[in-house]
Amino acid sequence: MSVTGSRAGCKQEIIEALLRDVPDLWRGHYTAAQGEQGVSTGFPGLDGILPNSGWPSRGLVEIVCPRRGMGELQLLVPLMRALTSQGQWVLWVCPPAAPYAPALVQAGVDIGKLLVIAPGASLRNALWSMEKALRSCRLVLAWQNGLSHQVLRRLQLAANTGNSLAVLFQRGNSGCPYSALRLQLSRAGSAGDEGPRVSILRARGNVRCSGVRLGPEALAGE
Amino acid sequence: MASPQARLSTTAAPRPARTRQDRTRRAGKQRGNLWYALHLPQLQALPESRRRRYLLVLAGLMETCSSDISPHETALVCEVRSALRYFGGIEAIHERLSGAIKRQLREWELPEDFSHAAAPTISGSLLLARAGGGKAVYRRANLHTALQGLPVAVLQPDQEQGRRLHNMGIRYLGDLWRLPVGGLVTRFGSAFVDQLDRALGKAPEAARKYVAPPSFRSVLELPGESLDLDRLLPAAGKLLKRLRDFLVQRDLATGRLEFSLLHERREATELRLELRRPGRSPEHFLMLLQTHLGELELPAPVVAIRLAVSRFDAWLDRDLQLLRNEKGAGADDAGVDHLLEQLQARLGERQIRGIEAVADHRPEYASRDFDQAEGGKAGPDTPVAGPPRPLWLLKEPRRLACRDGQPLYHGPVALLSGPERIESGWWSGDDVRRDYYVGEEENGCRLWVYRERDGGRHWYLHGYFA
Repeated sequence: MSVTGSRAGCKQEIIEALLRDVPDLWRGHYTAAQGEQGVSTGFPGLDGILPNSGWPSRGLVEIVCPRRGMGELQLLVPLMRALTSQGQWVLWVCPPAAPYAPALVQAGVDIGKLLVIAPGASLRNALWSMEKALRSCRLVLAWQNGLSHQVLRRLQLAANTGNSLAVLFQRGNSGCPYSALRLQLSRAGSAGDEGPRVSILRARGNVRCSGVRLGPEALAGE
Repeated sequence: MASPQARLSTTAAPRPARTRQDRTRRAGKQRGNLWYALHLPQLQALPESRRRRYLLVLAGLMETCSSDISPHETALVCEVRSALRYFGGIEAIHERLSGAIKRQLREWELPEDFSHAAAPTISGSLLLARAGGGKAVYRRANLHTALQGLPVAVLQPDQEQGRRLHNMGIRYLGDLWRLPVGGLVTRFGSAFVDQLDRALGKAPEAARKYVAPPSFRSVLELPGESLDLDRLLPAAGKLLKRLRDFLVQRDLATGRLEFSLLHERREATELRLELRRPGRSPEHFLMLLQTHLGELELPAPVVAIRLAVSRFDAWLDRDLQLLRNEKGAGADDAGVDHLLEQLQARLGERQIRGIEAVADHRPEYASRDFDQAEGGKAGPDTPVAGPPRPLWLLKEPRRLACRDGQPLYHGPVALLSGPERIESGWWSGDDVRRDYYVGEEENGCRLWVYRERDGGRHWYLHGYFA
């Protein structure tokens, strides 16, 4: 009895060691902490459905948002606040409108740590800048549509090797198999004071495609 | 120096050496320096910074004759003993220098006259030059005699000292030497007496060593003419390694590199690398150069590359450590500096913006973007609670249609909160009288809209709560 018990214990240890040391191990429905610790999104509801309970620590995150003004940037505000307060830089590559300083200050983001590449840059230059920036900025935000899977893969690789997070805002679902996380924002059927509905279109280490409705804290303008 | 007193003489030129033994004996006797002094009284009137700059330029001219130059208040002194034989005597050296120096003075529109003298001590040569110059004393033993006839004014006594000297009936340096040293020190201070001792070579004197400003210039010819980056970059890399060695030897760094790509029979393509933080890593310079070249349309094949650096900074080792650091808290500023240099090189000037909040009630003036290269204000803004502000602001408010008093964008916009009345700017002629609302479209998008309080009372879209 004691022999089998110790053998089972030994197996358990091996499995635990594997789970701890091999982050790429596929684990089915198991979505609890997988080696790497995620970075909290600042929204408990969203943390609850994301693998590693938060943003991946590195890689490409796509946010699908068909219209402007759905709270898509608001999703990133807690992360920007946390990073800039640690003295990390955040680069915005060709944003579609002027980032408005008073709103960012109101949200507690240290705007002295924000860099913006003016929207005039060509797509080629914008992508080049992102690739370079992912090596030295912790977070790079970009707004581009219709990028090829190959380009998305390069961004994912750049973010992975640079140990940083690339966030790409898109109007449509790219269906790209390489990104670490793809979220879709929608407001369909939301009551006036409810936040947007966030659904996971794709997440590494997760097979469930669940969604969650965020509370009013996810809405700017409240 | 067996019996210096016996050899006292006021020779103005060396006696010609007659025999080989004589010459070797003299060389043995006359070990030590011979200082050639130029006294430039016209520099006295100039402001100090300019005087210093001019002296350094003149010192540069003197480098043709001496490697040991000591700049003084309004004089330059250089060691010429080692150069006497080569140039053929002090007069030849003087001829050589005075032409160049006069030309330079003429260029500065200063009087061209100056006096010169040579003596075995710096102070001695200075005193002789101040007294009018034209004299050369080759041996220490002769200094006493040569100096004793000089007026005391050459010591540049201050007013009080001058008055005392006058009252004591002292007119010449020789008069001073007759007085007991102790008394002189109490009356005129030790510095005054030291000056005399130094002039005679009785006290050690320090030369203020002139060091030429560094300058780097190096050319590398390519094995064949080429437009190919794969050939140009390794060549530039070689130049950059030379630069690195140059900088390491002098403990310097640089923030500005000037490349010239030389072509056959046409003007060189000039390329300037500007760094946000001085450095000396060839890899980093090369990466920046690559970025620059990638954006450059070369007009013709390149036959040679020239690299020139004339601005230098002190080397700070901490940059390196920061670069090696993992991206930790606040430690990646050096990395970001490098990134900004690269982005600027590729995207062009003024394309990397920072943003800052401005205390202005008018929403469109409350946020400002600035060129990151010039920097904004320092320190984070403190968050202030207040009415909601959108993350995106439109540069120009967009006029909205209106139906039954309700604004229309893609569809009707329901007003969620407001109004927030903003009235401001009338004094600048750009006055704003608006009622702002947070509006929501049927599809859930949140907008920042306002209605004019006068005029046509139109509705406008001003921002998105993204």
